[in-house]
Amino acid sequence: MSVARKQRDVLSVEWIKLELIRTAYSTRGGLFAAMDPRAVLGWYLMLALAPWFTHNLTTIGSLFFIGVLSVAFARVGPLVLGLFVIGLGFELIYLVLAATVFGGDFMTFVALTEVTAKIGVVSLASLAAFVSLDPEKLSDALLALRCPPTIAFAVSYGYRMMPILVEEFSTVMEGYRLRQLPPAKAGLLGWRHLAHWATLVVKAFYPIFLNTAKSVRTTVEALEARGFTFATIDKRGRRIRIAGLRYGWLDLAVVLATAGLIAASFAAGAQWPIHRV
Amino acid sequence: MTDPVIEVRDLSFRYPGAARDTLRNVNLTIERGGFVAIVGGNGSGKTTLCKTFNGLVPHYWSGEFAGAVVVSGQDTWASSVARLSWTVGYVYQDFQNQLVRPTVRDEVGFGPINFGFDDHAVRTAEALEAVGISHLADRFVWQLSGGQAHRVALASVLALRPEVIVVDEPVAELDPVAAHDVYECLTTLNRERGITVITIEHHAEFIAQYARSVLLMSDGAPVWHLPAREALARSGELAEHGIPAPQVVDALSRMGIDDVARGVTEAADLLRASCIEARDPAAPILAPQEQQRRVVAEARSVTHGFRSVSGEIEPVIRDLDLKLHEGDRVAFIGGNGAGKTTLMRLFAGIQVPRSGDLFLTGENTRSKRAGRLAERAAYLYQHPERMFLKPSVRDDVELFPRSRRDPETDEIVARILERVRLTDLADRDGRTLSGGQQRRATLAIGLAMRPDLLLLDEPTASLDVASRDDVTAMLTELSGQISCAVIATHDMHLVAEWASRVIALDGGRIIADCPPRELFADGALLEASRLVPPQVVQLGKELGMDPLPLTVAEFEAHLTTTGARA
Repeated sequence: MSVARKQRDVLSVEWIKLELIRTAYSTRGGLFAAMDPRAVLGWYLMLALAPWFTHNLTTIGSLFFIGVLSVAFARVGPLVLGLFVIGLGFELIYLVLAATVFGGDFMTFVALTEVTAKIGVVSLASLAAFVSLDPEKLSDALLALRCPPTIAFAVSYGYRMMPILVEEFSTVMEGYRLRQLPPAKAGLLGWRHLAHWATLVVKAFYPIFLNTAKSVRTTVEALEARGFTFATIDKRGRRIRIAGLRYGWLDLAVVLATAGLIAASFAAGAQWPIHRV
Repeated sequence: MTDPVIEVRDLSFRYPGAARDTLRNVNLTIERGGFVAIVGGNGSGKTTLCKTFNGLVPHYWSGEFAGAVVVSGQDTWASSVARLSWTVGYVYQDFQNQLVRPTVRDEVGFGPINFGFDDHAVRTAEALEAVGISHLADRFVWQLSGGQAHRVALASVLALRPEVIVVDEPVAELDPVAAHDVYECLTTLNRERGITVITIEHHAEFIAQYARSVLLMSDGAPVWHLPAREALARSGELAEHGIPAPQVVDALSRMGIDDVARGVTEAADLLRASCIEARDPAAPILAPQEQQRRVVAEARSVTHGFRSVSGEIEPVIRDLDLKLHEGDRVAFIGGNGAGKTTLMRLFAGIQVPRSGDLFLTGENTRSKRAGRLAERAAYLYQHPERMFLKPSVRDDVELFPRSRRDPETDEIVARILERVRLTDLADRDGRTLSGGQQRRATLAIGLAMRPDLLLLDEPTASLDVASRDDVTAMLTELSGQISCAVIATHDMHLVAEWASRVIALDGGRIIADCPPRELFADGALLEASRLVPPQVVQLGKELGMDPLPLTVAEFEAHLTTTGARA
């Protein structure tokens, strides 16, 4: 009836969980992981804002190239990179379709592509920056930049919850997989299986959140007992947390180099301008 | 009666919206440097009482609070949870949820940094050292075993240098060896640093071995607070409150000795002193005749492993062969990480092995979907709440037969609910039931799948003694319903009382496959698989009995025969 089952290591729930953990805790290292988190945030802002100051396609193209370079330097993992590429691909297909269906021509497509490319640059920069910042560094940087401590903690705790939620999701889905009979026939293009799976995902929501909510009660009490609220009022905790942050030569070099490349992009744009008409 | 660290006077407390008081007129003194076990049935107010010590009641759980709690000179009403946490550390029963930071070092340093202590690094190092986990400092908290995670939780409260530590049921979520380790660690802290230790505990063995005084709670008020020896002598009263006497105490009292033994050696000495000995081997207990029995499940050179965060495959099961026969009551034992759970999930067909094959009633698990294999083998999770998918127990039990359009669904479900005695609770949400009820509910879910092979992962973990005996009895009754039952467990009482065949796993290999009696007789094997046999087995061994007794009744029978001859 079906192909013999095999243990799969890629594209399984377990793989997604590992990938998320690897991504979140920047276990792959990379250029930006070695930098001061505040410098990484600054670098990110620079690259993420630059494309919005121009309509010149040459500049935007160069910026996109810088984004690709940074992703390579940051050693972004296959999961998020794959999602990005798929997302961008679908966006392009959708644009072509929309432009054709609504009576546009090639120029409409180019006009819409400009925005897509700008968003692409921002996404690449985000990938590079946030893959390189583990939640602790990110929350320390936010604290240092005078963000409210609650937000800084939420960032770090959100990451802590992630593996728990994925685990919970896979357990609940497994329970349904075992106990609820899948459709006997696949149907056209396997639509019955797809519909079955989609129903389960929706049904899984309720048990996942009830189970998680129950365990979070202990977490909240423990936070209270360990001075979390205290630290939001008393400033000494913040001072200790951010004392470990230091700017170094690498930070300066990377930020300057990027600034230089961005300037070069704009210069190139001025030299060989391509504008949509 | 000189230096009380906690004084409770006329304390009553009612949770908001509750119909009655959870704590009723509690008066209590705990001496500095004490080691107190708080015992009592479910709902007797143990946990609520402990939460008044660090101010969670009334500052976090605001209800109707009357009376006074004074902790190390501070009135908790006038203080705050944060301030009281410097004095009282609290380790939860579900300690995994208490860990909020990604790495061990961060976790332990979290409290001191929040409170702005400049010596936070010293405190962190000191706390890690005190519980012996300095080598784990840079690990991620989700990579830890249960025992290690409990130590991290303990270190994280120690880093605030508390005067009192409250530990809520350490035995519930840990294997027996890890639980003993926790108690040894608490004893050291108590002895060397003078930290007052308060534990909530159901297991009389641990109380007897470690606690210096026992506080019995019933219905929201203390019944008595006595030195451990006196408390344990009131075994009848303890049993009424759901704390059966330790096996050695039970064994002694059956021999007519009223004295209380705190451990196996002491019990053996008492028995020898009363001139009761096991001299001659009793009549050998015959092994059941080995017949040709149907093979329910079989593993042929199975190897399996998982990918770790760093990308390598970590082997869990290595080249394993095993046949499970009809009528077998199999117990998989072995330390954490020995491969018990993985092997069960492979047998249930939830996963397929990397190499080798598994056969369920003759069919290769590779040839069918997991959902189809579930009709032959049911796997029940260690944590029962993971099996509740529906808003009521009845819906959960129904899910499997109903989705397969079984015309007898209603009858089956009604019969099974009756069998696990949950008919009255069938419309409640499974998550709101007590631990023992949850376990019975998952058993019902498994039975409704009407499998040939039933696999239960730690069916007695985190149950109090009464619920545990209940589940054990229910498993014994089930033998007629399913061809073969397999449990993975650390609970040697369950192994002794229930199993007919024990399979000891270590590092993904089978290191022993024998009846429980042989297992308990093999000292080297016990050592290798980090097992602590039940007290009565140890006592039998200490007295040189052969064959070893597995239950108190067997022990008694054995001694009576020799006594009569002597």
